[in-house]
Amino acid sequence: MDERRAHARLRLEPGTGKALELRRGMILRIEQIEGGQCVDFNCFNLQDHKEFFHTGRTRHMHGLHPTKGDFLWSAPPRERPMMHILEDSAGTNDVLYPRCSGFLYEYHYGLPVHTNCHDIQAEAQREYGLTPDDVHDSFNFFMHTGIDRAGRPFIGRQIAKKGDYVELLALFDVLAVPNVCGADVMATSDFSFKPIALTIFEPNEEALAAVPEFPKFGTQRTPADFKIKNIKADRALRRDPDYVPEFTNVPIRTTELSVALDAEEGQALEALKATGLYGHTDAEVLRYVLFSWWIERFMQGPKHFDDLKA
Amino acid sequence: MAQREKSVKLVLNQQQLELIDATIARVGVADREGVVRIALREFFARHSAARPDDKA
Repeated sequence: MDERRAHARLRLEPGTGKALELRRGMILRIEQIEGGQCVDFNCFNLQDHKEFFHTGRTRHMHGLHPTKGDFLWSAPPRERPMMHILEDSAGTNDVLYPRCSGFLYEYHYGLPVHTNCHDIQAEAQREYGLTPDDVHDSFNFFMHTGIDRAGRPFIGRQIAKKGDYVELLALFDVLAVPNVCGADVMATSDFSFKPIALTIFEPNEEALAAVPEFPKFGTQRTPADFKIKNIKADRALRRDPDYVPEFTNVPIRTTELSVALDAEEGQALEALKATGLYGHTDAEVLRYVLFSWWIERFMQGPKHFDDLKA
Repeated sequence: MAQREKSVKLVLNQQQLELIDATIARVGVADREGVVRIALREFFARHSAARPDDKA
């Protein structure tokens, strides 16, 4: 890694962001200059801006605090790893909170003109012809967050120190857009702005080769799969008079499956029903048990199922 | 073969049945019913000890 060649070095000043073209294999390092600064981040497929980073899918795959070894995923229906987190020295990232916006500062603080991540992103993305509508929810690097006992999210004190950094490997050509978080009256960056250092490294085949292979499915679609292939270019929505719905697997049909249980199985079903955790009727409990068992035994990836912790 | 004690009618849609059908060979049973029964046995074995007291 020490032999990497820097392609560009930049300094992001408070209140600003920068759209950066990263070719496949390039590495972006985002580094704390003073420490304690949140960096919001957007990401687009450089060849097709309709494919962009998705906090929700990333949260689904890696939890609320993605870190080294995790991926930044694109939105459905594309759903591809866009970038790989190669390094994360602070380990304090967030994909729970949305970007701050002008509305938030006016609503919460009565400040209608204030730095905010949405507008900073929009201004940086404008360099590539994107509009404020194209800004998407951000990956929040160096943002220390959690969920309290009542289930409410909170923003904690910063733990990122001077010199802490993350490194992101582009898995295909992307437009990466980091910005210094515009929140100075929220706890996000301990109520102060600090600059951020950016370094782009030349493509690194060794790093690409080390990325874990993800399976490719037909459900990870491309525009070639779309019924409408052109991007809608006007603003108004008008009904297509020739539209005929083609929803997958519709109509949904149900079938009755009769299952004969022996005495031991019948007792097991009764015991599970008595817990009150799986349903009220024999059929409800048995169906719940069937699919819970399947998830527990066969499902790939994060299971998202609290009952399996028993 | 053990005597059957009770019969339960599960209402499943075509997608759920597809998953069950794809599981038949994985668990080495003969049919859909066999998948349900092995699911019940294994789930109960795993969860029965801890669960009754968990309910709030």
